[in-house]
Amino acid sequence: MTTPSFRDMEQLSAFLDGQLSQVEKTRLEARIQLDPALAAALADLRQARAILRHTPKRRLPCNFTLTPKMTRLRPPLPRLVPALSWASATALLLFILTLGTNLLGQISFGAAAPMMAAAPMTSEGYGVGGGPAATQPPVTDNTQVIPTPETFVMTAPAATLSGETRGGGAAATQPPVTDNTQVIPTAETFVMMAPAATPSGEARLVAPAAAPATKATPEPVNLWPYIWLGLAAVLVAAALLIRRASVQAFRRKVGVKHNS
Amino acid sequence: MDEPALIRNAQHGDLDAFNTLVLAYQDIVYNTALRILGDEDLAADASQEAFISAFRALNSYRGGSFRAWLLRTVTNACYDELRRKRRRPTTPLEPETGDGDEVETPRWLADPNASPEEQLDQVELEHAIQHCLENLPTDFRTVVVLADIQGLDYTEVAAVVKKPLGTIKSRLARARLRLRECLQSFRELLPAAFRLEEKRGL
Repeated sequence: MTTPSFRDMEQLSAFLDGQLSQVEKTRLEARIQLDPALAAALADLRQARAILRHTPKRRLPCNFTLTPKMTRLRPPLPRLVPALSWASATALLLFILTLGTNLLGQISFGAAAPMMAAAPMTSEGYGVGGGPAATQPPVTDNTQVIPTPETFVMTAPAATLSGETRGGGAAATQPPVTDNTQVIPTAETFVMMAPAATPSGEARLVAPAAAPATKATPEPVNLWPYIWLGLAAVLVAAALLIRRASVQAFRRKVGVKHNS
Repeated sequence: MDEPALIRNAQHGDLDAFNTLVLAYQDIVYNTALRILGDEDLAADASQEAFISAFRALNSYRGGSFRAWLLRTVTNACYDELRRKRRRPTTPLEPETGDGDEVETPRWLADPNASPEEQLDQVELEHAIQHCLENLPTDFRTVVVLADIQGLDYTEVAAVVKKPLGTIKSRLARARLRLRECLQSFRELLPAAFRLEEKRGL
């Protein structure tokens, strides 16, 4: 007769609950018959389990049924939830795009503003100096200018005016580079600079319009931010409407039941 | 009771359907909480909290034993309660015996059919069991409450505590061993009728 190990007790416990395989069960039953200590341990376990199974059940202090107030009942989300989630995400994306576009527009506009301010000066100051100055952008020494499309919109009329005034047609085709100044021309550069190289005959037609530089070239209106914004608003409104309809339907359903 | 239909309706927000389920399971939920926590008020709070949580999380129920799913919710509520209790220990207002044990208030035993002797037997039995249960580590206590007091099978217990069957088997054996030792010290207090029944069972 040996003291049962924990492994034995585990087997006995599982045996009580019928959790042993047929082979394990047969083997354990044989051992129990031979070993009185195992039989006593099994009896103790069985008694402990029986006592636990006789634990008195307490009567409930109250019912635990729920009221809508207790649950702060929220209607289940409509089946369009994934779509609504996507709509929210899209709306956010569009908002960021719109905001970003506007900000970028402001930044580039801000960069062009000094050019605008300098443009009239170009027509006067460089006009006196002669032809080569005709296409020079209004930059100072040690300055790098990477022109943007807006830059050319502003500067081109000034160049036209200069070309017409001083007749420096040949010089006007020179790249607009001064001392220590680098200008990286782009495709737009040539497009916009071409009128400057035009002989005075054509230039005369252009010249009167060049006085107020901003009026000469109509700025293209960027409609995309408004389109995006409108689309986002429509999506948000649709989401809200669907949600509201769902909530109302749910309230009708629950309200009727709990008021009756 | 068409349980699957009730669950489906409850998942769509039908509180009446859910309350039918509550009525069916509140007894086992409350008694499980009571045996784990050992306090009526805490057990009632945990049960109510468990039903509220269950209703809110009902969409996460993916079939299987609804009883096990519900008991898992109440077990978690009990663990939360025990953690809170550990953080903010309280002094019981109940009178204590000379040994420092709390005197049970027998108002819950107001069984109109039970004789005074039977009531006393039940008090003593429950007192002994609860005392021994509270000496067990929480994990062991939960397993033994679910398996031996509430009568869940190993699979359901494993689903409730989210542990493998081997762990359940081992924890149950350890818990029973400790309970056996503990209950032996209360042997004289156990009801005579119960002792006779046990001898027949052996």
